[in-house]
Amino acid sequence: PLQSLQAKLAAKSSGASHRRPRETGIVSSWVKKVFSHYAKMPVTRDAFRIVEKCSERYFKQLSNDLEAYANHAGRKTVEMADLEVLLRRQGLVTDKVPVQVLIEHHLPLEYRKLLIPMAVSGNKVIPCQ
Amino acid sequence: SSGAKMRRTVPRGTLRKIIKKEKPQLRLAANTDLLVHLSFLLFLHRLAEEARTNAFLDKSKMIKPDHALAAGKVIKPFKS
Repeated sequence: PLQSLQAKLAAKSSGASHRRPRETGIVSSWVKKVFSHYAKMPVTRDAFRIVEKCSERYFKQLSNDLEAYANHAGRKTVEMADLEVLLRRQGLVTDKVPVQVLIEHHLPLEYRKLLIPMAVSGNKVIPCQ
Repeated sequence: SSGAKMRRTVPRGTLRKIIKKEKPQLRLAANTDLLVHLSFLLFLHRLAEEARTNAFLDKSKMIKPDHALAAGKVIKPFKS
Protein backbone atom coordinates (compact mmCIF):
# COMPACT_ATOMS: atom_id res chain seq x y z
CA PRO A 1 0.00 0.00 0.00
CA LEU A 2 2.84 2.37 0.86
CA GLN A 3 4.48 1.71 -2.48
CA SER A 4 1.30 2.41 -4.40
CA LEU A 5 0.87 5.61 -2.45
CA GLN A 6 4.40 6.66 -3.34
CA ALA A 7 3.72 5.80 -6.97
CA LYS A 8 0.61 7.90 -6.83
CA LEU A 9 2.45 10.84 -5.34
CA ALA A 10 5.19 10.50 -7.93
CA ALA A 11 2.61 10.46 -10.70
CA LYS A 12 1.04 13.56 -9.25
CA SER A 13 4.24 15.52 -9.18
CA SER A 14 5.24 14.44 -12.69
CA GLY A 15 4.12 15.95 -15.96
CA ALA A 16 0.71 14.33 -15.77
CA SER A 17 -0.36 16.76 -13.08
CA HIS A 18 0.27 19.68 -15.39
CA ARG A 19 -2.27 18.46 -17.86
CA ARG A 20 -4.78 17.35 -15.29
CA PRO A 21 -4.73 19.51 -12.17
CA ARG A 22 -6.72 18.46 -9.15
CA GLU A 23 -9.51 20.95 -9.85
CA THR A 24 -10.46 19.23 -13.09
CA GLY A 25 -12.28 16.50 -11.19
CA ILE A 26 -14.18 18.95 -9.04
CA VAL A 27 -15.08 21.08 -12.02
CA SER A 28 -16.28 18.17 -14.11
CA SER A 29 -18.51 16.73 -11.41
CA TRP A 30 -19.93 20.16 -10.70
CA VAL A 31 -20.55 20.84 -14.41
CA LYS A 32 -22.15 17.43 -14.67
CA LYS A 33 -24.47 18.12 -11.78
CA VAL A 34 -25.57 21.53 -13.00
CA PHE A 35 -26.01 20.40 -16.59
CA SER A 36 -28.08 17.34 -15.75
CA HIS A 37 -30.20 19.47 -13.45
CA TYR A 38 -31.05 21.77 -16.33
CA ALA A 39 -31.27 19.00 -18.92
CA LYS A 40 -34.03 17.17 -17.03
CA MET A 41 -33.30 14.04 -19.00
CA PRO A 42 -30.55 11.41 -19.07
CA VAL A 43 -27.23 12.51 -20.56
CA THR A 44 -24.73 10.03 -21.97
CA ARG A 45 -21.19 9.98 -20.69
CA ASP A 46 -19.81 11.19 -24.01
CA ALA A 47 -22.30 14.03 -24.11
CA PHE A 48 -20.99 15.13 -20.71
CA ARG A 49 -17.52 15.21 -22.15
CA ILE A 50 -18.72 17.57 -24.87
CA VAL A 51 -20.33 19.77 -22.22
CA GLU A 52 -17.05 19.83 -20.32
CA LYS A 53 -15.21 20.87 -23.45
CA CYS A 54 -17.72 23.65 -24.01
CA SER A 55 -17.23 24.76 -20.42
CA GLU A 56 -13.47 24.89 -20.81
CA ARG A 57 -13.87 27.00 -23.91
CA TYR A 58 -16.32 29.16 -22.04
CA PHE A 59 -13.90 29.93 -19.23
CA LYS A 60 -11.10 30.59 -21.66
CA GLN A 61 -13.19 33.14 -23.50
CA LEU A 62 -14.47 34.62 -20.25
CA SER A 63 -10.96 35.09 -18.91
CA ASN A 64 -9.84 36.76 -22.13
CA ASP A 65 -12.77 39.11 -22.08
CA LEU A 66 -12.44 40.05 -18.42
CA GLU A 67 -8.77 40.79 -18.96
CA ALA A 68 -9.60 42.95 -21.95
CA TYR A 69 -12.24 44.92 -20.04
CA ALA A 70 -9.97 45.50 -17.07
CA ASN A 71 -7.03 46.48 -19.28
CA HIS A 72 -9.26 48.79 -21.23
CA ALA A 73 -10.11 50.60 -18.02
CA GLY A 74 -6.42 50.67 -17.09
CA ARG A 75 -6.84 48.22 -14.22
CA LYS A 76 -5.24 44.97 -13.22
CA THR A 77 -8.24 43.97 -11.17
CA VAL A 78 -11.56 42.82 -12.53
CA GLU A 79 -14.31 44.92 -10.98
CA MET A 80 -18.05 44.40 -10.71
CA ALA A 81 -18.56 46.84 -13.59
CA ASP A 82 -16.57 44.50 -15.87
CA LEU A 83 -18.81 41.62 -14.93
CA GLU A 84 -21.86 43.69 -15.72
CA VAL A 85 -20.47 44.51 -19.15
CA LEU A 86 -19.78 40.82 -19.64
CA LEU A 87 -23.31 39.75 -18.68
CA ARG A 88 -24.68 42.43 -20.96
CA ARG A 89 -22.60 41.23 -23.87
CA GLN A 90 -23.78 37.71 -23.24
CA GLY A 91 -27.29 39.03 -23.63
CA LEU A 92 -28.13 38.02 -20.06
CA VAL A 93 -28.42 41.53 -18.70
CA THR A 94 -30.66 43.80 -20.75
CA ASP A 95 -32.56 46.99 -20.15
CA LYS A 96 -35.52 44.86 -19.09
CA VAL A 97 -33.49 42.41 -17.04
CA PRO A 98 -31.06 44.22 -14.77
CA VAL A 99 -28.27 42.32 -13.09
CA GLN A 100 -30.10 42.42 -9.75
CA VAL A 101 -32.95 40.38 -11.18
CA LEU A 102 -30.57 37.69 -12.42
CA ILE A 103 -28.90 37.59 -9.04
CA GLU A 104 -32.21 37.27 -7.24
CA HIS A 105 -33.36 34.48 -9.52
CA HIS A 106 -30.26 32.39 -9.66
CA LEU A 107 -28.11 32.83 -6.59
CA PRO A 108 -28.85 31.57 -3.09
CA LEU A 109 -29.61 34.13 -0.41
CA GLU A 110 -26.18 33.96 1.21
CA TYR A 111 -24.61 35.21 -2.02
CA ARG A 112 -27.38 37.61 -2.90
CA LYS A 113 -26.65 39.34 0.36
CA LEU A 114 -23.10 39.92 -0.79
CA LEU A 115 -24.08 41.36 -4.15
CA ILE A 116 -27.25 43.35 -3.84
CA PRO A 117 -26.90 46.61 -2.01
CA MET A 118 -29.07 46.61 1.02
CA ALA A 119 -29.15 48.32 4.30
CA VAL A 120 -27.88 46.09 7.04
CA SER A 121 -27.72 46.71 10.75
CA GLY A 122 -25.69 49.72 11.75
CA ASN A 123 -26.83 51.62 8.68
CA LYS A 124 -24.06 50.01 6.67
CA VAL A 125 -24.61 49.42 2.98
CA ILE A 126 -22.93 46.56 1.20
CA PRO A 127 -22.08 48.01 -2.18
CA CYS A 128 -22.78 46.27 -5.44
CA GLN A 129 -20.75 48.30 -7.91
CA SER B 1 -36.50 29.34 -9.58
CA SER B 2 -33.70 26.93 -10.48
CA GLY B 3 -34.70 23.90 -8.46
CA ALA B 4 -33.94 22.48 -5.08
CA LYS B 5 -32.10 19.26 -5.93
CA MET B 6 -28.99 20.95 -7.19
CA ARG B 7 -26.37 21.89 -4.68
CA ARG B 8 -26.53 25.63 -4.69
CA THR B 9 -23.23 26.57 -3.16
CA VAL B 10 -20.77 28.25 -5.45
CA PRO B 11 -17.35 26.62 -5.79
CA ARG B 12 -15.72 29.99 -5.36
CA GLY B 13 -12.16 28.81 -4.87
CA THR B 14 -12.43 26.60 -7.92
CA LEU B 15 -13.75 29.42 -10.06
CA ARG B 16 -10.91 31.67 -9.02
CA LYS B 17 -8.42 28.91 -9.75
CA ILE B 18 -9.83 28.37 -13.22
CA ILE B 19 -9.41 32.04 -14.08
CA LYS B 20 -6.03 32.18 -12.39
CA LYS B 21 -4.90 29.33 -14.60
CA GLU B 22 -5.95 31.26 -17.71
CA LYS B 23 -4.76 34.67 -16.54
CA PRO B 24 -2.23 34.45 -13.71
CA GLN B 25 -1.81 38.24 -13.57
CA LEU B 26 -5.47 39.07 -13.41
CA ARG B 27 -7.01 39.84 -10.03
CA LEU B 28 -10.65 39.55 -9.17
CA ALA B 29 -12.27 42.13 -6.91
CA ALA B 30 -14.37 40.90 -4.02
CA ASN B 31 -17.45 38.89 -5.02
CA THR B 32 -16.87 39.23 -8.76
CA ASP B 33 -16.47 35.46 -8.81
CA LEU B 34 -20.14 35.19 -7.85
CA LEU B 35 -21.13 36.90 -11.08
CA VAL B 36 -18.73 34.69 -13.01
CA HIS B 37 -20.58 31.79 -11.47
CA LEU B 38 -23.90 33.32 -12.41
CA SER B 39 -22.91 33.75 -16.03
CA PHE B 40 -21.60 30.20 -16.17
CA LEU B 41 -24.80 28.83 -14.65
CA LEU B 42 -26.84 30.60 -17.28
CA PHE B 43 -24.49 29.39 -19.99
CA LEU B 44 -25.00 25.80 -18.88
CA HIS B 45 -28.71 26.47 -18.69
CA ARG B 46 -28.83 27.62 -22.30
CA LEU B 47 -26.64 24.75 -23.39
CA ALA B 48 -28.83 22.20 -21.62
CA GLU B 49 -32.06 23.63 -23.03
CA GLU B 50 -30.65 23.59 -26.54
CA ALA B 51 -29.29 20.06 -26.16
CA ARG B 52 -32.63 18.95 -24.79
CA THR B 53 -34.46 20.44 -27.75
CA ASN B 54 -32.07 18.66 -30.09
CA ALA B 55 -32.72 15.36 -28.34
CA PHE B 56 -36.48 15.89 -28.64
CA LEU B 57 -36.23 16.71 -32.34
CA ASP B 58 -34.17 13.56 -32.72
CA LYS B 59 -36.86 11.58 -30.84
CA SER B 60 -34.18 10.55 -28.40
CA LYS B 61 -34.88 9.96 -24.73
CA MET B 62 -31.42 10.98 -23.69
CA ILE B 63 -28.97 13.67 -24.60
CA LYS B 64 -26.29 12.20 -26.85
CA PRO B 65 -22.96 13.73 -27.87
CA ASP B 66 -24.35 15.05 -31.16
CA HIS B 67 -27.12 16.90 -29.35
CA ALA B 68 -24.63 18.54 -27.02
CA LEU B 69 -22.24 19.27 -29.87
CA ALA B 70 -24.90 20.99 -31.95
CA ALA B 71 -26.00 22.93 -28.87
CA GLY B 72 -22.43 24.04 -28.23
CA LYS B 73 -22.24 25.41 -31.75
CA VAL B 74 -25.39 27.47 -31.30
CA ILE B 75 -24.72 28.61 -27.74
CA LYS B 76 -21.49 30.48 -28.21
CA PRO B 77 -20.05 31.79 -24.97
CA PHE B 78 -20.49 35.31 -26.24
CA LYS B 79 -22.41 36.93 -29.00
CA SER B 80 -20.00 39.05 -30.95
